[in-house]
Order: sequence, then structure tokens, then C-alpha cells
Amino acid sequence: MNVVLKHNAVEESLLAMAGKGSASDSLREFGLPTRRVEAWHYTDLRRLLKHVPARAEKLSAEDAKTAAGDYPRVVPAIRLPLFDGQYLEEFADELPAGCSVSRYGGANGSNYAKDDAIGLLQGLMGAEGVQIEIDGGVTIDTPIGMPHTSTNAAYSGIAHSVSVGKGAKVSLIERYLSPDDMGVQVNAISHLNVGEDADVTWVIIQEHGNDATHLAQLHVSLATSSKLTIIMLNCGGKLVRQEIKIAVEGENSELNVLGVNLVGGESHVDVTTIMTHTVEDTASTQLYRNVATSRGHGVFQGQIKVAQAAQRTDAKMACNTLLLSDDAEFSAKPELEIFADDVLCGHGATVTDINDDHLFYLNARGIPIEEARALLIKAFVDETFEDLADENLEKALIARIDTWLQKNGS
Amino acid sequence: MAAVQETIDAVKEIGVEKYKYGFTTDIETEKAPKGLNEDVIRFISAKKKEPEWMLEWRLDAYRRWLTMEEPDWARVNYPKIDFNDIYYYAAPKNFEDGPKSLDEVDPELLRTYEKLGIPLREQELLAGVRRQGEPSALDGDPADSVYASGRVAVDVVFDSVSVVTTFKAELAKSGVIFCPISEAIRDHPELVKKYLASVVPVSDNYYATLNCAVFTDGSFVYIPEGVRCPMELSTYFRINEENTGQFERTLIIAEKGSYVSYLEGCTAPQRDENQLHAAVVELIVMEDAEIKYSTVQNWYPGDENGKGGIYNFVTKRGDCRGDNSKISWTQVETGSAITWKYPSCILRGDGSQGEFYSIAVSNGAQQIDSGTKMIHLGKNTSSRIISKGISAGKSQNTYRGRVSAHRKASNARNFTQCDSLLIGDQCGAHTVPYIEANNSSAQFEHEATTSKISDDQLFYCLQRGIPEEEAIALIVNGFVKDVIQKLPMEFAVEAQKLIGISLEGSVG
Repeated sequence: MNVVLKHNAVEESLLAMAGKGSASDSLREFGLPTRRVEAWHYTDLRRLLKHVPARAEKLSAEDAKTAAGDYPRVVPAIRLPLFDGQYLEEFADELPAGCSVSRYGGANGSNYAKDDAIGLLQGLMGAEGVQIEIDGGVTIDTPIGMPHTSTNAAYSGIAHSVSVGKGAKVSLIERYLSPDDMGVQVNAISHLNVGEDADVTWVIIQEHGNDATHLAQLHVSLATSSKLTIIMLNCGGKLVRQEIKIAVEGENSELNVLGVNLVGGESHVDVTTIMTHTVEDTASTQLYRNVATSRGHGVFQGQIKVAQAAQRTDAKMACNTLLLSDDAEFSAKPELEIFADDVLCGHGATVTDINDDHLFYLNARGIPIEEARALLIKAFVDETFEDLADENLEKALIARIDTWLQKNGS
Repeated sequence: MAAVQETIDAVKEIGVEKYKYGFTTDIETEKAPKGLNEDVIRFISAKKKEPEWMLEWRLDAYRRWLTMEEPDWARVNYPKIDFNDIYYYAAPKNFEDGPKSLDEVDPELLRTYEKLGIPLREQELLAGVRRQGEPSALDGDPADSVYASGRVAVDVVFDSVSVVTTFKAELAKSGVIFCPISEAIRDHPELVKKYLASVVPVSDNYYATLNCAVFTDGSFVYIPEGVRCPMELSTYFRINEENTGQFERTLIIAEKGSYVSYLEGCTAPQRDENQLHAAVVELIVMEDAEIKYSTVQNWYPGDENGKGGIYNFVTKRGDCRGDNSKISWTQVETGSAITWKYPSCILRGDGSQGEFYSIAVSNGAQQIDSGTKMIHLGKNTSSRIISKGISAGKSQNTYRGRVSAHRKASNARNFTQCDSLLIGDQCGAHTVPYIEANNSSAQFEHEATTSKISDDQLFYCLQRGIPEEEAIALIVNGFVKDVIQKLPMEFAVEAQKLIGISLEGSVG
């Protein structure tokens, strides 16, 4: 006999909003994940998700035009704009040759795993986004941007699917914005296929307002000799969970992840990554720098899995955190799961306050203590994005970090 | 690399031929009826001549246990345990009659002691022939002189009873109490009542609660204020009977400014069935006191296919109650089919220190999920974790540890280093640390690495004529050196040999 789960108000409202289907059945069976689900150990979604607003209404043509008009760009990019869960095709920039885009309704999932709450939510609530195909051998110099702006305290489901052909080279920017004090909710799932010999840069910039809920997944598969760089900045939102799941399944493929998570106010920001190495001779490096201040709670869970066949895997991960306030919290769970013997895997995690010696050094040279502190924090974070191939992007990211640091007066 | 015949032969031998403590002792025992119910608990309590309050305490734990669920979060797989198919009490029968000389002692028992490497003088004591302090007929035997001056007090627990404790009188001179816990419950109820389950609460976890209901023996140590225990204390655990579980309970209290070093060792016969060992160890350390707790765990690991072996589900926790107190756990884990064990420190007192040094070696089909918890509550507390995992054969070896700093634990400091070594491509090594900082002045550092034995190192040894297996043992011993150095001398030698034995046959 299965014990029937007593659903809480959020689960009830979700079930009421959603139709019948496997997602509803799964939600009815598992409910939202709690601490007891290992993948959600530090983010008790059932407790933290207080409310799921109704789906955003369709923008009128007039509103869409206004919204798309003054859209702030991060860097010069080919823009495929999204507003309140809709892809505004008519305002999209033209794509260069060898590249096609179409409206995308998300993958129809079924049999959701117990810890796949984000997939499950999207299954329940639906999604819209773009499907991009990059032909083999094409090099696109200007990044392709997929910015999403929320303009209402509503729910938006976003789904993107990107496939990069053999030997192609491209950068893509996934970006999320919303105003402060607006209870928006975004559920975003992206799938990326990196073809043989392809070279892809994937940027995630999450700069929501202070009351936003952002639940996102990025699924990637890497083919033989391909290269992927992920650049991620989380500097907004109230409840944020970004999952990155990468299957390194092509020999000689290479993966780099650079992430900065800025956690302030009352926010809860969770970054959970799973790198699965399944074939021989692959490499991955990951560097995360986090700052937690005020009453923020930062979470980092990073798993490196190496299958038995994945000999000569070289996987490294570092997660460094500055904890600047006694009311802030940071929880880290770096995990190694290794089944192959000829590997070089390691992870390091540190949580500290600013080093007193460094402070003293600057102070002794006449820099006031507050200024010295700010300088050291900035240096700690900025280092992550030093020497990015795209200078414009580097500047844009640093500018956002500066704004956040000033606003969160650390 | 294809396996050559030699390798296959070598692998076959692991665990089975190499486990030298796999013998059984054929002595008459008295057992409680098989299974677990309130009557069995009453039986155990009566056998131990326990006061009423203890029985009530056990029954209460049993009732709570019935409502609990077995934990499933560890990375171990085993068939469901039938808790009613176990004997919860087994004791060597002719123990109470008190033999007069070694000739009268059940020769099987003596043979056991001999195989365990316990010298004759100790055997006399263990068999109850001679009381501590009485002259022995063996006095002057040169072969025994090492142990004549041996400064190690031993408590031997055979299945469910503590058979003897040595050096009791001498320890009593300095006020140290070292006795089986069942004796402590009768003779020192005020201490037991005050401290029992004060570190590991009765309903802490499934196995700890089970232990509360059925624990049969174990050691009780009390070090009074300001006393530095004059010798090493040690307990030797052995499971002998078939289908029995061993549920030992150890309680160590170190009063203000005292110090004690405690060692435990464990072995079990080779059997095809799995046997259960669910122990609880509680350490209480007051101001400026220190407990050093070392374990060499060598329960029968089962054969290479995972048949038989001990299920080792242990809850060990120390509470640094006083300021500037210190607990140091050192463990060498080479045995058991399944190990589920997390010796932890609650760093409550300001300036208290916790240490955890571990070597976990798994081979054959062994599964280890072990680590530690360092809970920083007081100010200026520090902890250090060094864990070395070595997996070979088809084993799975997981380090799982938690380091947390409470909001008020300012200047908490932790350093963690977990290294894993893989030998062969059929095994797994996993690292799952949980790092939780709630205080900005906390300084936590964690690093973990996983690799195989470097070809260069191996080549260097081979080139100098060292056979491959020996070379691996040599490199592995170098790998674990940091931890071995923390063990008391007698154990360090044993541990080094054990690691060699455990890894034999793992070359391939």
C-alpha cells in the first residue's frame, strides 16, 4: 500500500492549474522535493516555493512592440527576444547564413525522476522558446542572445533547444531579467547539443529583481573533440536554482565552467551541477566564486561522475566562497563518484571571510578599511571572468558585478 | 590489460584465504531465543542482573525502534535484514564457574586467544585463572616478558559478554574505572544514568535505537579529574557464534584535565551468512581533557563475491563539553562486508578540537560508507579531517562527511583532506562532503583527490627488484602514512600489516 501524500497548498494549486498527464501523476505521487531528496538537500523546495502564480497572459501586439523597442542589450548580439514566456518572433533579428531558428514548445517529458522538480513543473505548466540549428562548419562571430524579460508577477515557462553542427563555432547568451519587488516566476530548461569538433560558448546571466523565483536547467551533451565554455552569473532573484547537467560523451572533448554567484538580501541561490564523463580522454574544469552577504543563503552542489569506461578523465572543480555576514549561510557539497582507475579528479571547496593579512596590507598602504574590503571582494569575484575571449562580455559581466556589490554594500 | 592466470588466481584468494581470524571457536554457549521481542530484552536485562530502570529504558528504546525506518541514504546495497533471525545474546557457558588453572579452561577458548595473538599471561587473566596482581606460574618466562611489562589494559568482549578486564585493580589506584558496561550499570548507576545516551540520544538513528534496546556489553571508562590514565586501555571484540549479532555499547567519560587513550580491535569468524554488528560509542570530554580513540576494525569481510561478512552499522560520537577539550578519532577500516560508520565530534566547548584520521581499505565486494561529522558550536573551535580511501577488487568506498559551523561558532576552523586511491577498474571511490558555514568568521577548507597509483612510482620500485604486490603495498603505506602516524605504536604495526593483507591479490 502506498501512503497517499498530503499535498500542500502550492501542490494543490499546481494540480488545479495543470491538466491530466504524467507530470500531474508524478506530482501527485512525489509532491515537491524536500530536504530528504538528496539532490535538494539544501533547497527544500516544498517549503521555499510559497506560491506559483498563474501563467503570464499573452502580450498585445502594441505592448510587445513597446517592450521590444527599448530592450537593453548586454553586448552586441543577434537578439531573439522573449517576454513573459513568449518568443516574439516578429521582433527577432535576422540570423546569419547557416543558422535557423523556429518557435519551440519544449520537450514532452514523461517518467519524471523524483528529483526532477524543474522538469516536472515545466511538464505541468508548459513552455515556449526557440529551437536553433547551427549548420556544420559555420562560424558565427556575433553572439546569439535569448533574453527573457518578465513584466508581470506571473509564471513563464521557457524552453530552448540548440544544436550545433560539426566544426561550427558560436556563442549563445541566455539572460533573465525582471523588475524589483515583482513576484515573477520563471522556469527555464535549455538543451544543447555540441557536435563533433564544435566550439561553443554558453552564457547564463540571471539578473532578476529581488522577488523573483527562477528555476532552471541546462542539459548538454558533448560530442567527440568538441569544446564548451559555460559562463554563468547569478546576481538576482529571491529563490534561484540553476541545474547544469552535462554528459561528456565524446572522446577528447573539453569543458570549462566559470561561475559567479552573488547572494544577498533574503535570497536563496542554489547551483547544482552534474558532470558525467562516460568516455575516455575527456577533461573538465570548473571554477565557482560565490559571495554571500546580508541574510542570503548560497548553495553549491557539484557532482563529478566518472564511469568505468572513462579512463584518463581529468576533472577538476573549485568552489570558493566569501561569507561576509554572520546572518548569511553557505552550504557546499562537492561530490566525486569515480568508477575508473586511471583518472585525475579533484575538488576543492573553501568558505572564509576576507583574509585579514590582505586587508592589513592594503590598509597599511593608506587605503581605508572599507575601500580595501570592497577592493578585495571585487578582485576575488572578477578573477573568475578574467581573460574571457569576448572582451565586451567580460566588461558587461564585471559591470553587473560592480552594480551588485555597490547595491549590497559589503 | 587482459587478466593473466596469475592475476585470476590471486584475486580468487582475496578475503578467503587471507583472513586469518576466520576460525570459529567451538565452545558451549548460552543463547537467548532467536528473534527480537520484549521477552528477549527482559532476558538480556535479567542475564546482566540489571536494575529495573535499565530494563524500562531498554523497553522504551525497543518501542521507539519499532516505529523507525531503516536509513537508505548511504551508498551501500544489501538484502533486507531479518531482525528476527538473529540471536541477540550469546555467552560462553563455563565462564562463571571460575577455572583454577589454565588446564581447566576450555581449551578451545585458549586456542582462540592464542590465534588472536594474546600471550599466555594475558590468557590466564582472560580465562579467569589468576586475578590481577597475583603471581603467575609463568613468571620469569622470557618469551612473555614483553607483555609482563605491557602497559595495556584489555577488556575482551566475546559475543555478548565481556569475558574479562585486566589491570582493573591497578587502574583503580589512580581512580580510573575500566569495566564492562554491564558491571558499571550495577556498580556505578549514577554515572551511567547521567551520561548514557547523552551524546547519542536513544532515538538518534535506527541502529543506535536498536542498540539501546539490546546492547549486551562493551566497555565503561571513567577518568577522574586531573588524571592521566597510566596505561592504554583497549577492548577486543569478537563475534563467534553463528547468527548472532553483536551490540556493544561503550561509554567513556574524561573529567576535567584528564587524558586517556583507548584502542579497540575487532574480528569475527568466516561464515557464509551475514552477521550484524550495531554498536554505539559515546565519548564525553570535559574542560581541558582529551580522549584519543583508535580503532582497528577487521571484521570478516565476506568472500570475493560478497557472500558472508559482517554488517557493521556503528554510531560513534564524542561531545567536547568543556572548553579546550579534545577528541581524536583514528580508524583503520579493513574488514566488514558493509561499513556504515561516522565517528563524529560535537565541538561545544570554546576552543575545543576535533580530529579524525581514517584509512579505509576495501577489496573484494566490500562496501564502505564512512566519514565523520564535525559540528562546530563553540567559539574558536577547530577540526581536522584526514581521510584516505583505498579501493580494490569490486569494492565501493565512499567518504561522507559533514563540517558545519553554527551561527555563534565564531572563528571555527576546519581543514579536510580526502584522498582516494583506486586499484583496478572494477572498483569505485566516492567523496561526498557536506560543508555548511553559518558564520562569516568560519574558515573551512576542503580538498579531495582521486587517482591511481602513479606508474612512475611503481616503475621505480619494480626497477629496483621489488615485486609488484610489495611495491603496491609500499606505495599504499606511503599514501596512508599521515594517518598511521597517529595510531598508538602497537596498532600502527598491526595496521600496516593489515593494509598489506587486505590488498593482496589486488594487482591486475
